[in-house]
Amino acid sequence: NSKIGRNAKQSGRPVKVINVYKKPPVGRLGDKVLVTIEHEKKKAYIVGCKQRQQTLVPKFDSNNVVLVDDNGQPLGTRIRAPIPSCLRANTDPNFVKILSLATTFV
Amino acid sequence: MRLEKCYFCSSTVYPGHGIQFVRNDCKIFRFCRSKCHKAFKKKRNPRKAKWTKAFRKAAGKELAVDPSLEFEKRRNVPVKYNRELWQTTFKAMKRIEEIRIKRQNQFILNRLKKGKELRKEADVKEVETNIHLIKAPTGRVKTLEKKMVQVIQEEDDDDMEEV
Repeated sequence: NSKIGRNAKQSGRPVKVINVYKKPPVGRLGDKVLVTIEHEKKKAYIVGCKQRQQTLVPKFDSNNVVLVDDNGQPLGTRIRAPIPSCLRANTDPNFVKILSLATTFV
Repeated sequence: MRLEKCYFCSSTVYPGHGIQFVRNDCKIFRFCRSKCHKAFKKKRNPRKAKWTKAFRKAAGKELAVDPSLEFEKRRNVPVKYNRELWQTTFKAMKRIEEIRIKRQNQFILNRLKKGKELRKEADVKEVETNIHLIKAPTGRVKTLEKKMVQVIQEEDDDDMEEV
């Protein structure tokens, strides 16, 4: 629920992924991506995919992303959308911060 | 590990099966197989799809309201761990399972009993109306016809008693 996030939702401008920080640049659950939002570039982590997942991983109605600043600190103070519990296994310190902000897990 | 129910057909989804879908309002839908998943995507109403449990319960074809079914309902209040509670619950679960199955079967039996009676009546009626097809041309046979109707009725009664 960062300021930018709220603005983006209000103005109805969709967030677009422009770069994926991975070797084969395909973004999946838990990947870090570069994202344009409100004419700005921000980093983000993918937390929900519309794509069919492996077994035991839920698929979401929309591709969800958690905005993160350059240091990896999440921009908002709370994450309302449900986060798949398979991401709980990530020990990446940035991720742990995101998970601690999450309210619901799937 | 938790056995879930398919949102569409209400069958149990075992781990490793099916698809789990999270809607943007955080509601989770679980499907046992792609049949249910596709039906959901087509926006079908499970209460109208005749093969689902939801339809059967809504149409009164299966036991819907019963104390033994209350045990399965999800409670959102976590219970403090108590070993004895677990043990008694475990025993109770087995017993409740037995009772529930018996009650469900009894419900279906009761529902189908009416059909048996109706069919018997229909059979008797059919014989009476169509007795002319098997009657012999002489007039004496009226008693025979009556006897035949009687015999058929008795046979049906025997069948009823046997079952």
